[in-house]
Amino acid sequence: MDVTVFAQQIANGLVNGMAYVLIATGLTLVFGVLRIVNFAHGEFYMLGAYLTYFAGTLLGLDYITAALLGAVVVAALGVAANKLIFWPLRRDHEFTILLSSLGLALLIANSGELLFGADPKYVESPFADEVLDIGTVTLTQQRVLVFGAAVAVLVAVYLFIRYSRFGKMMRATAQNPDGAALTGINIGLVHSYTFALACGLAALSGALVGPTVMIFPTIGNWAVLKGFIVVIMGGLGSVTGALFAGLLLGVIESLGGGYISLGFMEAIGYAMIIAVLLWRPNGLFSTARGLR
Amino acid sequence: MSTHTTAPTGGTAAGVPGGIPGGTLGLAGGALLLGVLPFLAGNAYLEHLLVLWMLYALLALSLNIIIGYLGELSFGHAAFVGVGAYTSAILSTQLGLPPLIGLPLAGIVAALFGLVIGYAALRVVGPQFAILTLGFGSILYTVTNHWVDLTRGPMGISNIPPLSLGPITFAEARETYYLVLALVLIVAFLCHALVNSRTGRAFIAVRENAPLAASLGVNVFHTKLLGFVVATAIAGVGGAIYAHYIKVITPDIMGVHNVAALIIVVVVGGRGTIAGPILGALVYIGLLESLRVAGPLRMVVFAALLTGTVVFLPGGLVSLWSRWRGPRHAEGGAK
Amino acid sequence: MLGRRDLIAAAAALALFAPLAGAQAQQPPVRIALIGPMSGTGAFEGQLGLEGAQAAVSILNAKGGVAGRKLELVTYDDKGSPEDGVSAAKRAIEQDNVDFIIGGWFSAVALSMKEVTRDKIITVMTSSQHPKVTEEGHKYLFRLNATSAMMSSFYSKAICNQIKPKSVAFMNVNDDWGRLELENYTKLLGACGIEVKGHEFYNRTDTDFTTALTKLKAMNPDAIYVAAINTSQGATIYRQVRQTGFRGKVIASAGNMNPKLVELSGNSLESVYSASPFVEDNGQPSMKPWLAEYRKSYKNEPSFIAALGAQGVEVIAAGIAGTGGDPRAYDKIAAYLKANEIPTVLGNVRFSDQGQATQPIHLVQVKSKQIVAVRD
Repeated sequence: MDVTVFAQQIANGLVNGMAYVLIATGLTLVFGVLRIVNFAHGEFYMLGAYLTYFAGTLLGLDYITAALLGAVVVAALGVAANKLIFWPLRRDHEFTILLSSLGLALLIANSGELLFGADPKYVESPFADEVLDIGTVTLTQQRVLVFGAAVAVLVAVYLFIRYSRFGKMMRATAQNPDGAALTGINIGLVHSYTFALACGLAALSGALVGPTVMIFPTIGNWAVLKGFIVVIMGGLGSVTGALFAGLLLGVIESLGGGYISLGFMEAIGYAMIIAVLLWRPNGLFSTARGLR
Repeated sequence: MSTHTTAPTGGTAAGVPGGIPGGTLGLAGGALLLGVLPFLAGNAYLEHLLVLWMLYALLALSLNIIIGYLGELSFGHAAFVGVGAYTSAILSTQLGLPPLIGLPLAGIVAALFGLVIGYAALRVVGPQFAILTLGFGSILYTVTNHWVDLTRGPMGISNIPPLSLGPITFAEARETYYLVLALVLIVAFLCHALVNSRTGRAFIAVRENAPLAASLGVNVFHTKLLGFVVATAIAGVGGAIYAHYIKVITPDIMGVHNVAALIIVVVVGGRGTIAGPILGALVYIGLLESLRVAGPLRMVVFAALLTGTVVFLPGGLVSLWSRWRGPRHAEGGAK
Repeated sequence: MLGRRDLIAAAAALALFAPLAGAQAQQPPVRIALIGPMSGTGAFEGQLGLEGAQAAVSILNAKGGVAGRKLELVTYDDKGSPEDGVSAAKRAIEQDNVDFIIGGWFSAVALSMKEVTRDKIITVMTSSQHPKVTEEGHKYLFRLNATSAMMSSFYSKAICNQIKPKSVAFMNVNDDWGRLELENYTKLLGACGIEVKGHEFYNRTDTDFTTALTKLKAMNPDAIYVAAINTSQGATIYRQVRQTGFRGKVIASAGNMNPKLVELSGNSLESVYSASPFVEDNGQPSMKPWLAEYRKSYKNEPSFIAALGAQGVEVIAAGIAGTGGDPRAYDKIAAYLKANEIPTVLGNVRFSDQGQATQPIHLVQVKSKQIVAVRD
């Protein structure tokens, strides 16, 4: 086995995996805290990428500022989606919530096609084509940035949930919403903040991954599918689980594609989840209800 | 899947026309209307739409067994439709088998896949079950896409011969419509009988409270597996008819897009009811078709109406009926 | 009592049925159905084709139409899927009673749609390259784009004589076309002494190609040949070829070079070759007005796909004009198109008895982000 190629495939897999983790974190938070399976999560990823693009081309902002602006705007959109759809439905059957999120996803994707145009676009980033040689491994600066920024964001999210007053409110709501409400926690506020955080994270991942590929209005499909696989494999509601599952999925896809068959790359990923779920039905890192 | 919230229309609405005295009459009238529809359509394209409606109704009825009666969300249903379609298409194009033999075989092969996949996937519930079925579905899709020698890969199989029964060839829309209509009525009747049978009550018991059902002696796993296998068999037959009617199939038939379409049909129509999936299919086909006048706005309007319907009518379109009658008939009165 | 929610519910249900009252269309103009991918992953290509056709229609109508009748395009969405293509063609013929069909942007759609239109209506297939579209076509079927065989016999000579790589590895999309390309070029390039180091197939749904490109780069070929139809996948691959640190030659598949691809690919397409029937300065009389009309009406740059849309309209118009003006005289129109050389924006086209067009093909190269013809 060629060590150089092997190392390169591992590095490719880790970067792709970290992008999955970033997408999955928001998804798992929304489920963990609010018990909502949000199929529109991928559309917020798409919006993040597009807003970064438009902030760059129309407002002339630099890439980093554009990405942050995109994340903030999408976070606000997430709060609006919560107010209009998820909050009023909170006592309805889970199928209703799930399907309304599917409807929302269709609505955003199709409106996107209409507003942004069907032509693919490219998010300009100064790091996209700069190649870094790390030992024998070749990566672009952008891919290193995806990995690094994801690590920083995950640490920040972890500290926020663990130590901030608001994070404690989120964890309390996750464990027992009614009990949390009784102790005076404003559940409506928890809903809003969780959606803001989750959608902001989705948008940020769109902005980070954007310059490594092309963007078009239906990329949300891809994002939400990968996100779900990671969330379910890691254990619904578990941020740590999402981290491990995402990296594992990225590396296994990359090695499977590299050494077994590229055509079956996705199928190999799915086979892995099936194996994991049959072994541990609630995912790798799931023990009881709550945020971890 | 936890049922801590109350579904607006649950199992009680299952046989919508069931308990009403005029129900049987209405049912007969409805069947009669369905029978003469192609003559009212007046042109071949509307007849084609009628066939699509019935095909979606058949597939939605089968998915409804899983969603409505077992209370689980399957994201792999389109894969079984595809397995049935490919089975019959391959048998008739490569082995030259008469399509009429292919049809039951399509159901059997799909059911075998359903048995194996259901056996593995039904061990988990809720979102995990949804993702497991999605995973199995994607694997079937990938294999279909890459096993070029058998399935011709992404190019699909074309020039599939039409179904024929003795002198009758189901080449045109009208004949196919009656064939699928007959199947829809049979499946609808079977679902109706099932709900009122011991097995059907076991299904509902499992959906509403699995641990309780288990304590009452219902074998939860076997009950679910039975429902899953029956659903996949029907899906396989539906897929085979689709293949022989459209005459071309590609792996796209197993795609996520079709999964979403079928779930939309079931839930918008009304899960756990018999009229729901049939009505949902009509609305799905009719709406997409009539929205062509909206031009580029077509899909946006469709998605908006879909979201609106789900948010404001969580019980599906059939729940409009009970709401209408609600003020006079419902015991608790309207909210 | 009816609550607010019930009222909204009833309104939503009403709205579901309201649009069922369809629109009626009028008869006088010659009606051409343009069936293409207007949504989904091929939506951009469909949009370009529609724009090109629309520009050609505007020019013809400004001159008073064809044989005294205006042309009208009716657009249908096939979503790039064969099933939807079949439905759209059925609707065009049976419900909307159109006179002609232009469609078949993707091979899979063309192959299924031709069975619906078989011997019923004149059908002009556009960009699909699959040989069976015309080999198993019908008496009213025409196809504009060159087949993979025609393209590869031209392009392989250019690769052997002008690009001259010592060895090559292939990065092809996993469909019939991608597989056919691999087969053709392995044979043709092998014949002139270019070593074929290997190949990878990627899926039409893939978004990241680093795994495949890492494998190809490790084979250490002199050139990587990329067979990609979809613009966004193509652009990602060309960028990632460079991003994985590959410094050899890149060869772009024939017929798929377009301005959007160049724009999206940044510097990674610089000096890359391709073959295309489309060059702006080909000296055809109808090219200049079409380019002007297109640039006036649309923000996209004129492209091969757009030109195919225009060509479809031109071929139909020439058929009607050459046979006395009855758009339903299909036998006469088909015979006329097969017997005569038809002037179009891309050059004078000849149709075989099977309806296959022969188009001039040019070797093109990207220079300073412009696609220019290589003249020798």
